[in-house]
Amino acid sequence: MDELELLKKHWQKDGAQYPHVSANAIYKMILKRSSSIVKWVLIISLLEFGLWTGLALFFKGSKSTQNFDKLDSDFLLIPLSVLGYVILAYFFYLFYRNYRRISVTDNAKILMENILRTRRTVKNYVLFNLLFMVASFAAVLYIEFDQDQALIRRAQVAAANGEVFMFYGKIILMVAGVIAVFAGVLLFFYWLIYGLLLRKLNRNYKELKKLEMLS
Amino acid sequence: MDKELEHNFVALLEEHQNIVHKVCRLYTNHREAHNDLFQEITIQLWKAYPKFRGDAKFSTWMYRVGLNTAITLYRKSKRTINTYELETYQFKLSAEEYDDTEEQQLKLLYDAVRQLNDIEKALVFLYLEDKDYKEISDTLGISEVNARVKMNRIKNKLRTILNP
Repeated sequence: MDELELLKKHWQKDGAQYPHVSANAIYKMILKRSSSIVKWVLIISLLEFGLWTGLALFFKGSKSTQNFDKLDSDFLLIPLSVLGYVILAYFFYLFYRNYRRISVTDNAKILMENILRTRRTVKNYVLFNLLFMVASFAAVLYIEFDQDQALIRRAQVAAANGEVFMFYGKIILMVAGVIAVFAGVLLFFYWLIYGLLLRKLNRNYKELKKLEMLS
Repeated sequence: MDKELEHNFVALLEEHQNIVHKVCRLYTNHREAHNDLFQEITIQLWKAYPKFRGDAKFSTWMYRVGLNTAITLYRKSKRTINTYELETYQFKLSAEEYDDTEEQQLKLLYDAVRQLNDIEKALVFLYLEDKDYKEISDTLGISEVNARVKMNRIKNKLRTILNP
């Protein structure tokens, strides 16, 4: 006999062996909080939105940029920050819309796709933000070297003393350090999300995709 | 939330709770994890219940939510890390059908099914529940043909596990 048939026969009349959960216990259960990954995806995504937006704001408010504000930079920075907010709003809207689409009553494949799509929106936002920050850095450096007389003088002094490499080396190191910190934070989030939270989902999604190739 | 809604839900779930137990049985391997998954499925069912319309059978709807929770949403709680010995379920066969070899065989079968991956388990679960390939394909989001092909492969796989 087919092995599964034996199991099926047993399975069908299996009911009696499970401990009965009373109505009272069910009432208590529905008051408890879910520990589903969707909740964690939401929390972590909101944290990411908050963190990256916060970082952008922090750099805008910091001391060096106050100094920088004296320079004639509005022509570049105002459009850049308006663009930043518009794009944040757009990504957030996409995220919210995708999040609302997640429904446990969809079929398994659609449910998985909707969760992954929600994550992808956040990932795109973070990527955009990084590029945006690099672009802003470049813009700031460009304006500094173009207009900041103190800096220009220092560059000239360094050139006169034959320390050009030192001078630019320091700047490059500083920029690289900041980028390394960002990359670290980014990797931490991805380890958290893909390593811990979505590992099972990804594995099962791949398995379902494999089934599509069967015929 | 609406008291009447709550009351209806609890009554329905109490009546059909074996479906949830069976999902937990395939996807967990000790009592504590079973209870934990049972609770998560209950919460998911309750959250989705306001949108449940009578046009589907409550039990059919439960299969979907139960399996989705087990396959996708459920994150093992900390309590379930491997510190527990695998406590397998006791098989309670009634006296007249008690048969040592059959019991042994069943135990091996359950152990073999537990070695399958999450998606394969879902197919086996629906198969054991006597669902047709249409319902299996609707629940998982794969085509009927592929569900059938996969089911045959799973049977072969089980055979290999059982007769190495």
